[in-house]
Amino acid sequence: MIELKHITKWVNSGGNRFFLLRDINLTVKEGEFISIMGPSGSGKSTLLNVIGMLDEFNEGEYNFIGQPVHQLKEKQRSQLYKTHIGFVFQAYHLIDELTVYENIETPLLYQNVKASERQAMVSDILDRFNIVGKKDLFPPQLSGGQQQLVGVARALVAKPKLILADEPTGNLNSKQGEEIMELFKQLNTEDGVTIIQATHSERNAAYGSKIINLLDGRIEK
Amino acid sequence: MLKHYILISIRSLKRHKGSFFINLIGLSTGMACALIIYLWVNDEMRFDKFHQKDSQLYQVMEVSRENNINIVHEATQGLLADAMVKDLPEIESAVSVMNLESQGLYFTVKIPGKTLKATGIFAGKGFFNMFSFRLKRGNANQVLADRNNIVISEALARNLFGTEDVIGKTMEWEVAGIIKKQVQIAGVFEPAPSNSSMKFDFVLTHDLLISEIWTNGQHWWNEGPQTYLVLKNGTDVNRFNAKIKDYVKKYHKETPFALFTRHYSDAYLYGNYENGVQSGGRIAYVKLFSLVALFILLIACINFMNLSTAKASSRAKEVGIKKSVGSSRRALIFQFLSEAVFMSLLSLVVACVLVVLFLPVFNTITGKEIKLIADPGLIILLIGSTLVTGVLSGSYPAFYLSGFNPVSVLKGKLKNSIGELLIRKGLVVFQFIISLVLIVAVLVIQMQMEFVQKKNLGYEKDNVIQFDKEGSAAQNTGTFLEQIKKIPGVVNASAISQSTVQNGNNNTTYGIEWPRKTANDLVNFVVRNVDYDMIETLGLKVKEGRSFSRQFGADSTKLMFNETAIKVMGLKNPIGTKVVMWGKEMEIAGIVKDFHIASMYEPIAPLVFRYDPSRTTLIMARIQAGEEKETLSRMAEFYKKYNPGYPFDFKFLDAAYQAQYISEQRVSALSKYFAGLAILISCLGLFGLATFNAEARTKEIGIRKVLGASVSNIIIMLSRDFFKLLLISVAVAFPLAWWAMNNWLDGFAYKIHIGATVFILAFLLILLIAIITVSFQALKAAMANPVASLRTE
Repeated sequence: MIELKHITKWVNSGGNRFFLLRDINLTVKEGEFISIMGPSGSGKSTLLNVIGMLDEFNEGEYNFIGQPVHQLKEKQRSQLYKTHIGFVFQAYHLIDELTVYENIETPLLYQNVKASERQAMVSDILDRFNIVGKKDLFPPQLSGGQQQLVGVARALVAKPKLILADEPTGNLNSKQGEEIMELFKQLNTEDGVTIIQATHSERNAAYGSKIINLLDGRIEK
Repeated sequence: MLKHYILISIRSLKRHKGSFFINLIGLSTGMACALIIYLWVNDEMRFDKFHQKDSQLYQVMEVSRENNINIVHEATQGLLADAMVKDLPEIESAVSVMNLESQGLYFTVKIPGKTLKATGIFAGKGFFNMFSFRLKRGNANQVLADRNNIVISEALARNLFGTEDVIGKTMEWEVAGIIKKQVQIAGVFEPAPSNSSMKFDFVLTHDLLISEIWTNGQHWWNEGPQTYLVLKNGTDVNRFNAKIKDYVKKYHKETPFALFTRHYSDAYLYGNYENGVQSGGRIAYVKLFSLVALFILLIACINFMNLSTAKASSRAKEVGIKKSVGSSRRALIFQFLSEAVFMSLLSLVVACVLVVLFLPVFNTITGKEIKLIADPGLIILLIGSTLVTGVLSGSYPAFYLSGFNPVSVLKGKLKNSIGELLIRKGLVVFQFIISLVLIVAVLVIQMQMEFVQKKNLGYEKDNVIQFDKEGSAAQNTGTFLEQIKKIPGVVNASAISQSTVQNGNNNTTYGIEWPRKTANDLVNFVVRNVDYDMIETLGLKVKEGRSFSRQFGADSTKLMFNETAIKVMGLKNPIGTKVVMWGKEMEIAGIVKDFHIASMYEPIAPLVFRYDPSRTTLIMARIQAGEEKETLSRMAEFYKKYNPGYPFDFKFLDAAYQAQYISEQRVSALSKYFAGLAILISCLGLFGLATFNAEARTKEIGIRKVLGASVSNIIIMLSRDFFKLLLISVAVAFPLAWWAMNNWLDGFAYKIHIGATVFILAFLLILLIAIITVSFQALKAAMANPVASLRTE
């Protein structure tokens, strides 16, 4: 599903080239649950962003479901990620001005899903996550765990093949974190959603089927 | 500490060059605009106020009732001044002043070997004591004492004699065919200030006027000159006005005129009367432009606040750090306030430079001689208002920024309250409204001016020239006209008593009697004495009867009226009807179709054409279109031969027509500039708000992009808000503009109808401007990489 070959990314700062990713080779098959580990600044987020096509890379090849991402135009890339990838963030990144319902609905709006279908899809996921009663609340009215739940719901609503989660439990207490991780596990095993998460915690990483260690932009073998 | 502040200010300016320049441009143009308007208003307010006796100086006005409307005139009886000063103890002195140019008569002055056109007035003895026109030579009490004296301007003395040392020399003048030789120069006066409504090159005596030139002026039933009074200090003007109301009746029982006085220097700004009651005048423009200046300055200040608060997030970190290391809130407020004051002082400097650069253009547009002179009052005012501007525009960001909670600021949390957002949106709506009203105003003024210029006047004003009848042309007009008609390219030519284009119709009469006229029928007829062919030269249409013609002979007992006159007199079969004009029985020979003789402010008045070549003063000639240049040079050549010593000084009739609207054209030009400026400043404000908006929603934009929003999705989302604001502004601005401009148009008797086009045009224009301004920021925000905005540290 994902094939990264010799991915390298750098930034130039004051004449020095500073490498964020160095020669990353990675293959992810459909249905895998991968945890990326590493200290701060090791490149976890950058790698997730590259995989999520939010960020560019300088060298290397990236194939996503058989499509050569490095050769696609901006528009095609955005088309690709918005239909196939869901994002979950450490800081949830919900829109404060929108209700839970509207937040979950947003990705569907950008995929031109019909209104009636949207309603069905959002209701479905609200049901499944047991947050129907919260659908008219605004994010600041929810606890962190509930907000992240909405975040995951939003990531899943468009039925993506891949979920990218950047420190999804970083802002949560251990109980809330556990619940989210259980949810991921369930999604992975029952629905076959591919998941890649970046995390600090060994415990959370253990939920994955495979662990990748990053240090200074390199994969440690 | 101060050094530290300045260092930080300068570095932050360097870092945010864009917003620095937007602030500088906005604030300095706003200030420059306000300063220029202030100078103009100041100049207007001081108009005619330079006379030392200003506070005591009054003009006598006359009111008469015509067609149930009270009409106010400036013309008074030639004997009034002398009689009043004798009869009324409140009066210190009184003077008659007559300007023949308002009758369409122009002077030629001569010394052997030199002939010039010049503006002359006739004035009573006390003229130079009453008005502060300073004499360079001669004694104010004496210069007009002798009937044949003349007092001339420095410039005229130089142009005629090449020297100012001209006392005792003699010269010659001519007006309307009257030639006066050997008048003696008794004084020389300095040029009048540019803000004087009286402008003249020489002064003749009132004695001479009524004893030799306008002998009718010796009778109480005739009006002509203006009468000015100096009232004794402490006179109650209202009581005085009540006292003189029926003053003329004492000398002329049947007079329809009542008197009142108005303060002389008020005439300029408060010159309009409606049904006998003072109803504004130029003061309306003064107030309007003051308001515009205030608004523009206000908008500029608001923008400054807006942009500063919009930039707040980028300085929030500085505030947070400073607070956490122990800076007091007061110190922070001081820092941000001093930054704002520094900014406004810098803008003041730029504004002054702009004003100096723009003043020459402004003076050309307004016909003024305004200078930026650094008198102490102005400096205090400038610095004072700059400080106020600085503190005012700096206070909000200062208190806003300094009020941040250091912990949340450092964590990157910056919430904007709904109230703030509302205020900011309100400000944008306010700016939109002002811009829209100004755009509509400019469009309407423009369209009305175009309408006035293109309006069919009822005759063909193009390709007609007019020049004074003087010298041999005056002595033998018939031959002159015959010969000039023979010049190739001259279509027709004739003589008339006053042009058909004249500001104010001073050549009028009440002295026409018609069948079944009642005692209440007071009708003021415009009088034009004409020679044969005048109707044809002007291209007037004869509706009934015939024009004056050589074929019929004895046309000196015939009259032609316009349609309005016939309607006012209520005549059924007018042709052949006998009427009495000035005591003589006359017959109506023809009716001309109505045509415009006054400006478009006035409805068409009743008019009578009288065949009387002896009273004509002006030659009008129609020349072939397309051959103007050749024909004019042939005419000049002929004129030089026929009328040696007289300059061939002609005017095109349509140019004279345009000149009537000079003040409207000035207003039109000025309003264009100010509207442009207001729009520019509003754009800067809008840009500021768009920046702020985009910045405040950075995170949201990032999230939406990650969720799959395209660039155009984001741009539409960001622009939609502004579009809503624009619609609200339209809802307020258009009715306001419609009302205001209809009010302005009401002054015109002939005017355009304000249609939907104006509003559609204004809307499209502002929409275009708004889209350009907003989309730039929106595009920038939409194109930004979401990863950067979603990073959490």
